[in-house]
Amino acid sequence: MTDETHKQSSWWGSFKLEIEQNKEWHLGPLKLIVRRLKSEWQVAHETADDFENLNTPLNSPLNSPLNTPLNSPWEINNTEQLPETLDNNSRYILHDTTGQLIITPQLADRPIISRPHMPFNLAAGEEITLYVSSSLWLELAIGSTPSKVLKSIAIQRLSDTWFGPSTLEGELCYASTTHCRLNLEDLPKRSYKAITPVLIRNQSKTTLLIERLNLPTPLLSLYASSNGQLWTPQVTLTREKDGDMAELKIDNHPPEDVGIMEKISDAHNEADSSVLFRAFNTVFS
Amino acid sequence: MNEFWSDIVNFLSSEKVWGLTRAIILIVIGIVIAKLVSTTLEKLSSNKMDNHRVMLLKRGSYYLVLILFLISALNELGFNLSVLLGAAGVFTVAIGFASQTSASNLISGLFLVAERPFTVGDVIRVGTTTGEVLSIDLLSVKLRTFDNLFVRIPNESLIKSEVTTLSRFPIRRLDVLVGVAYKEDLKKVRAVLDEVANKNPLCLEEPKPLYIFQGFGESSLDIQYSVWAKREKFIELKNSIHEEIKNAFDEQGIEIPFPHRTLYTGNDTKPFPVETIKNKQSD
Repeated sequence: MTDETHKQSSWWGSFKLEIEQNKEWHLGPLKLIVRRLKSEWQVAHETADDFENLNTPLNSPLNSPLNTPLNSPWEINNTEQLPETLDNNSRYILHDTTGQLIITPQLADRPIISRPHMPFNLAAGEEITLYVSSSLWLELAIGSTPSKVLKSIAIQRLSDTWFGPSTLEGELCYASTTHCRLNLEDLPKRSYKAITPVLIRNQSKTTLLIERLNLPTPLLSLYASSNGQLWTPQVTLTREKDGDMAELKIDNHPPEDVGIMEKISDAHNEADSSVLFRAFNTVFS
Repeated sequence: MNEFWSDIVNFLSSEKVWGLTRAIILIVIGIVIAKLVSTTLEKLSSNKMDNHRVMLLKRGSYYLVLILFLISALNELGFNLSVLLGAAGVFTVAIGFASQTSASNLISGLFLVAERPFTVGDVIRVGTTTGEVLSIDLLSVKLRTFDNLFVRIPNESLIKSEVTTLSRFPIRRLDVLVGVAYKEDLKKVRAVLDEVANKNPLCLEEPKPLYIFQGFGESSLDIQYSVWAKREKFIELKNSIHEEIKNAFDEQGIEIPFPHRTLYTGNDTKPFPVETIKNKQSD
């Protein structure tokens, strides 16, 4: 695939760089510059703080950087600027003759916690689909098969958070910067984020209060739709009848109602089976 | 000459030499079996236990098997084991009295291993010493402090004193103590602190930061603001959040007062009267 086709469709894939050529990515809050030298690659990147946060109003003006339409959410330029001007600089010495740079989007290696705009109650026997948007990481690799991975860069710096019944029990997660939504239309569509449909079923006899949701991103693979939006397979969370356990089911295919999708990257950890059982309080709170 | 040879043959064919040979064979077999048993146990347990326990199991099984074979070898040599064990008992009491401290450390070491308050690689604080545990031995625990000093702490003092394991749980709480001037609006101060914690990516979103009003201090309203961080990022958060709070307070015009004294003359409006007296000596 050539540069030109990628320019039209996606910010990931394979890019060819000549010696002493720079390429610059502007992707949401991330600015990334990659420079190829003779047997050396330089990578520099910078992430803008406060790019978006939970308190962003639902309908902010379309011209704000938050709601850039999906057809031009990113830019790839050839630039003369040297990477030294950015915050994080790294140099990699490797003898590569191909000049191929492969950029792969990846999901977080820790679960992501997201909140609905306002906590809600799910009545007994009901089910609902929530849409969660999770921030991505970029993996940079050089050369064709086998490619050598240089590093992984977070597009957005996510805040750490703790999810569990107490400070002794639980796991470290990332806190999502956006709310999960009941309507897909409300979810800001961003090219640097992946959308996961989460179906929640309450089979117990009591009402289920949903304040926070633990999305097991390390178990999810990533797919791209034809318009460049990234998706993950649907996750189904079922609260069992006894109320103490939750069943976690991950589809092995992308959501069907979105159109044809191409698989972009595999999950960090492969789940042993498609259905997992977890303690109720490790999934919802 | 013939007599000499027959003596040698008699000696070699005697029960004593035969016993000695059997004893040597037993010891050699003992060493081989002990090695075999300890390595097998090490391999079997290496993914179930931590390094320290595996090491203890390996050593323990090695010496146990070896001692059993040594006892059989002594038996072969014609030693009366009950007498030997009795002598060993008396000897142990004597040694025990002579090396009371070492024995106490040894017993404490066994308790320490059984109780497992920390393992190799943990960061612990004993008294004023904080460091990473390098090894837990029978007599002492070796630490490497963060200024790269090697500290040996006797097991006995570890059993007796308070030991804090800093690296037990994945998250830690940082208590920020800050005082604001009496004129400040506490609601605004709290909102500014929450905003700072919210913006800092190292500060955990959940458990939520804790705000405690500590009281009316001498020169300030004392506040404790506690934030949670991932253990490894604790120092980084400690440095960043203090700086960010100071900057946010400066930006919002919130004063962090230093201790001061106001002299009050009994009248609100009039300044403190100051009089200069000239030519005092001529009076």
